[in-house]
Amino acid sequence: MAMVQTVQIPLLSALLLSGCSAKFVRIIRVGSVDAGLGPTALFPMRLRRPLAVAMCALELGLGIGLILTAGQIGRGAPATCVRLVTSLLFLVAACSLLELRAARPDVGCGCFGDFSHAPVNWRTLTRSALLSLVALATIGLSPIQLPHTKGTALSLLGLLAAELALVAGLSPELGEALVRLGYSEPCELRAVPADRTLTALRRSKQWRRHAGLIAADVPADVWREVCWRYLVFPARCDDREAEIVFAVSLRQRRPQIHTALVDAVTGQPFAWAAPARTLRPMLRPRALPLSKNL
Amino acid sequence: MLKARGDRGSCDRCAGATGTADAARIARRRLLKDAVFRPQAAHGMNHLPGHGDFPDAARLPRAVTGTVLDVSPHVLVLGEPGARPGSEQRFTLSSDTTTWRGAHLEATALRQGDRAVVRLPPGRRAVADKIWANIGRVTGTIVEHSSDFMIVDEGVTRQRQIVVIPPRAAGRIQVRFPTLQPGYLIDIIGLRGPEALVGAIPATSQPAYPADRVPAAPLVSGHVPAAISGSATWHEPDGEPPGVLGVAYPALDPETGCAEEAAAGSERGYGRMPYLAVGSALLVRNDCNGASCVLPVTGCAPVARLFNDRCVTCGTSPRGRVADLTEASFVALGGELDRGCFNATITIGR
Repeated sequence: MAMVQTVQIPLLSALLLSGCSAKFVRIIRVGSVDAGLGPTALFPMRLRRPLAVAMCALELGLGIGLILTAGQIGRGAPATCVRLVTSLLFLVAACSLLELRAARPDVGCGCFGDFSHAPVNWRTLTRSALLSLVALATIGLSPIQLPHTKGTALSLLGLLAAELALVAGLSPELGEALVRLGYSEPCELRAVPADRTLTALRRSKQWRRHAGLIAADVPADVWREVCWRYLVFPARCDDREAEIVFAVSLRQRRPQIHTALVDAVTGQPFAWAAPARTLRPMLRPRALPLSKNL
Repeated sequence: MLKARGDRGSCDRCAGATGTADAARIARRRLLKDAVFRPQAAHGMNHLPGHGDFPDAARLPRAVTGTVLDVSPHVLVLGEPGARPGSEQRFTLSSDTTTWRGAHLEATALRQGDRAVVRLPPGRRAVADKIWANIGRVTGTIVEHSSDFMIVDEGVTRQRQIVVIPPRAAGRIQVRFPTLQPGYLIDIIGLRGPEALVGAIPATSQPAYPADRVPAAPLVSGHVPAAISGSATWHEPDGEPPGVLGVAYPALDPETGCAEEAAAGSERGYGRMPYLAVGSALLVRNDCNGASCVLPVTGCAPVARLFNDRCVTCGTSPRGRVADLTEASFVALGGELDRGCFNATITIGR
């Protein structure tokens, strides 16, 4: 029984600190303190910000407090106090989530910031209630000591893994995290810097083939449509003013490139001249003055 | 403007009227894109952007904008004050002609000096089918609210708008916009006055979230389909020539450095849309009546990204705002300006 109790302290502490970190990351990303909502959506607007801050601070304090009072330093009343408050926190959270589920069924619990968008369900509720019981079970636990034998250490690790698996099973956030880990944004929605496209173009054989015709370092026009970025360079071909149009696909590796040589005035395509690789040295890469062109 | 090739006809007949460098650039981009992809298309690469049949402009209604110089039960005269004699336009009013001026009224309720948008049915260009007088729309974030008026931010490239909600319209508007507090979104149609918009009808329902807390967009897996269904709205001309056909698109390439991007208040907005540029062509189809039209992207619509609303003109649109049309485009596609939106499908890469 003592072993089971011992495992709960690092588990609870890890969950509290990771919940606080996830909320903090979301606050930084969104740029607003009251962004990490969840049950705070139940309160009037003026109370949401202080509540969100208080929740974050409480999680941080309890997470650190559980670790500090686990050993000899905070034995007795401080340890009991921290564990009791932790249990109360999860109990209040479970009740709030029950209320949130009834009042705002579309809102996620916000427990782990951006990962907790899924509406509150029985798993979220069970997790909070279970963690409250777990915290309650640690009250009265004597100071934790490092395991003396290898067998004890393995048993503790096994227990911790089993409990983590149980918590993971009760966490809708796990699915969201796994999706994000393996998620690759489609090229249509991916923001790709124009400089990266230009670099890819300059490394391509199409660029090398036509570099002798190109008359300027920077493109005359650059624009993007869906998965293609178009770059237009002034050119000269047989003493005729022309433009070379490159269409560069925004794939990350080996982008497909199409080219056309057009009349500078009419925009009508005409036949390529013979390759003129030696006419002009390779142009040096240079940042694009995009704001003027787009 | 976008008739890049002689073998194409499109409903962007008025776009060339801008006479601006932008118009020329839009046309040139289409031409250059064709030059790159047309040879390949001839060899079975029709899926590449830049190809498609254009609809017939003559089959679409047309919108004319002007100032009411005179109106009688049978004739409406539009023009511009101080314009040369003979430049005014006369339209016949029939028994079917409907007029909106804050509410549906008789055509004789129009007054001299009103700014009118007149819809002309296809094939009968001298007959006014519907008239909207002094119609205006304010879409943006409330930045200030007092008992008498609201100030609404429509983005950094537009002036802040003053909206007055008269008592007779307050109930109707507050049903759809319950939170008239700074930070929340608003979209109201009303009568355009010299200094303020007098709100008449809500154009949509208010999102539950403030503008700076737009919910995270759902992740998109695989390729985004070329055709996207959602809601098409309209906006008042702000520096655009009257009658210009075009569409403000919610997702211009971030690399464009579009000043309006900063106004969005959200990095991406709720609806994720494929990135395009000014000059890209969109086939916009009104799902309520089947009318369609190829329109150039003429600007960005960052505020549209903040609305996760639905258009319910004919059924419920599957997603929020996919296009913010100019008045002329909206009317040409059969939209009713006083309804605020129509269910639309946009196809990219035509």
